[in-house]
Amino acid sequence: MQADQQLKASLKEISDLKAALDEHAIVAITDPQGKITCANDKFCAISQYSRAELLGQDHRLINSGHHPKEFFRALWATIASGKVWKGEIRNRAKDGSVYWVDTTIVPFLNEAGKPRQYVAIRADITARKAAEEVRAKYAAIVESSDDAILSKTLAGRITSWNPGAEKIFGYPAQEAIGKPMLTFIPPERVAEEAEILARIARGESVEHLETVRVRKDGKQIHVSVTVSPIKDQYGRIVGASKIARDISERKRAAELIRQSEAQYRTLFETLIEGFCTIEVIFDAAGKPVDHRFLEINPAFEKQTGLVSARGRTMRELAPKHEAHWFEIFGKIALTGEPMHFENEARALGRHYDVSAYRIGGPESRKVGILFNDITGRKAAEEKIRQLNAELEQRVAIRTAELKAANEELEAYSYSISHDLRAPLRAMNGFARILEEQANAQLAPEARHAIHRIADNAAKMGQLIDGLLDFSSLNWRPVTKKPVQPADIAREVFAELRPEAKDRRVQISIGKLPRCEADPTLLKQVFVNLLSNALKYSRQRDPATIKIGCHQENGEPVYFVQDNGAGFNMEHAGKLFRVFQRLHSPDQFEGTGAGLAIVHRIIQRHGGRIWAEAAVDRGATFYFTLGKAHHHD
Amino acid sequence: MTDDAPDILLVEDSPDDAGFFLNAVAETKLGARVQVARDGVAALAVIFGIGNPDNAMPILRPRLIVLDLKLPKVGGLEVLRRLKSNLHARSIPVVVFSSSHEKRDLVESYHLGVNSYLVKPLDFDEFRTVVRGLAQYWLQANHPPQP
Repeated sequence: MQADQQLKASLKEISDLKAALDEHAIVAITDPQGKITCANDKFCAISQYSRAELLGQDHRLINSGHHPKEFFRALWATIASGKVWKGEIRNRAKDGSVYWVDTTIVPFLNEAGKPRQYVAIRADITARKAAEEVRAKYAAIVESSDDAILSKTLAGRITSWNPGAEKIFGYPAQEAIGKPMLTFIPPERVAEEAEILARIARGESVEHLETVRVRKDGKQIHVSVTVSPIKDQYGRIVGASKIARDISERKRAAELIRQSEAQYRTLFETLIEGFCTIEVIFDAAGKPVDHRFLEINPAFEKQTGLVSARGRTMRELAPKHEAHWFEIFGKIALTGEPMHFENEARALGRHYDVSAYRIGGPESRKVGILFNDITGRKAAEEKIRQLNAELEQRVAIRTAELKAANEELEAYSYSISHDLRAPLRAMNGFARILEEQANAQLAPEARHAIHRIADNAAKMGQLIDGLLDFSSLNWRPVTKKPVQPADIAREVFAELRPEAKDRRVQISIGKLPRCEADPTLLKQVFVNLLSNALKYSRQRDPATIKIGCHQENGEPVYFVQDNGAGFNMEHAGKLFRVFQRLHSPDQFEGTGAGLAIVHRIIQRHGGRIWAEAAVDRGATFYFTLGKAHHHD
Repeated sequence: MTDDAPDILLVEDSPDDAGFFLNAVAETKLGARVQVARDGVAALAVIFGIGNPDNAMPILRPRLIVLDLKLPKVGGLEVLRRLKSNLHARSIPVVVFSSSHEKRDLVESYHLGVNSYLVKPLDFDEFRTVVRGLAQYWLQANHPPQP
């Protein structure tokens, strides 16, 4: 009975223990094959399966697929060999949600030492697992962040140090941890740290403080710092977390932008040209009809005469401003094509040189305009245009006058050639008639006088011919053509030769290069020069005449040389003047027109003529014919 | 054509030149009759009568017309143009006898159809020689078409 009592008490105790176990743990019992033979309420609750659904099933029912096959193989190997297995398992409940259980599987052995059943006792650790996951994520963030993330004690000693901190400050974690925060603070900012720590101690945060810190290499860096208090589970402040970001680059970029902005501001303020930005205003039909001034520079007012334009529209300021201005700016706003143009603003009484470009995209409707008042320049241009027109008119008048004068001269010489000769012919004719018919009755002196009348009339005729030939050169056009001067010289000599047929004349015509000249006029040159050469050499036996050419400064120089009377070079200045003669008519006849004509012809070809001579030692006349393709 | 048509119609405003011309012609002993017209209007009147419309029939057909160019009223070139553009008169030989040898006078005269162009020599002997030659050539040697 006592044993019975004892057994009863013992069973009661086991039962109580089991009840306590069921209260605390998820319990399942399986047979050696793993079939569930017993499941407590907690197991049903967590797996969401009823006991009836669980019994007879194995644990694959709640397998989440999270663990690899090897995991379960190892588990089974352990418990099958009679050893206890411990581990964490992720299972799947009936609704698909997963839960984590801390699991202990105890094999119960039979007499043979083989497991007869397994008892699995599990505790729900889902919450802990989730917390661990979150912590791991945060840790990963801290580890991979480019920002320095660190913690420190309230005394300011470093307690943690992420790779970002290592990168920014240059200290590895093992060096940094334990160091006072002041290590990284430049001397002039030491007070800052005390301030931060004081605020942390009061439970306050410091956010986005932009300050300077010192790297291990001594270089100062700009950082943005956020410091927050760290509290323990009881809410006591035990330290501070700190996130520091290197903003040196940003600072530098900001500084560059500031400098650039300042430069442009200065430019904008000091620009002599007017500058403004406008917003083009379109009407309902999409036609640009006005614009509003958004921004204007100080020169704007001087350039336009418009006061307080900013914020106001052009139509308000100048209602009569021409529509074509709005059209131009509207076009720029729509197409984005910059334009540079000159245009008149009648309403402002000014001319402008304008460069305009769109600011932003097509939707912005904004145009930047750089402009300069060119009214003065336009007026000067207009003045120049007028002066040019006047000048042209004056040139036209002068040309007409000159043409009229030339025509008059031509008519004059035409008239001379017709009318001046008739009286001379009459004088000559009647003198001759008198001479013939009254010869016997006249004294020798009278006969001589009559003879002189006839001769002088004839001489006067020659002078008129020479004068006409010479003056015609002033208005007759010179038409240059390629000519062969040697051919012309030969032809002229052949024509003149009969005049000296009783004389011995040796002529040599050298190699004369082709040239461009008026053939008729060049022939006249050779006629005059060769007849002079023949005339002034008539006392020589034989007379020698040489025609040749040599190059001088890349230009052919033609010459006609004789061995005749020559002349004194002192009088060479008179040589080419009309009716000037170096010999008296009783020595050598002539009018004095020949060389003047030659000189004029050479001049009109753009060439030069000169002579070399000595008394009784012959004369040489040199001439050039100017550049080829020269049309007078 | 009538019998009283002259052999030569001399159109010349200078009485001196006309006198020299007549003397020189007389020296040829050809017995040529010379009529002188003192200006272009008179010359045209001699050939075509008063009024002388275009293409009028000539009332006189001299065997030769000697024409100075520089003439009062109607110029020598205009007389030449009227003569040579008239179908009935254009076969009458016309010789220009001018003081000038201006190129444009020469060109224009030949363009209008002149039969010859002579320059009056200034020297009296040469003048006489030229006129004699002129008269002999046109009145003796030359064969005009039968009218």
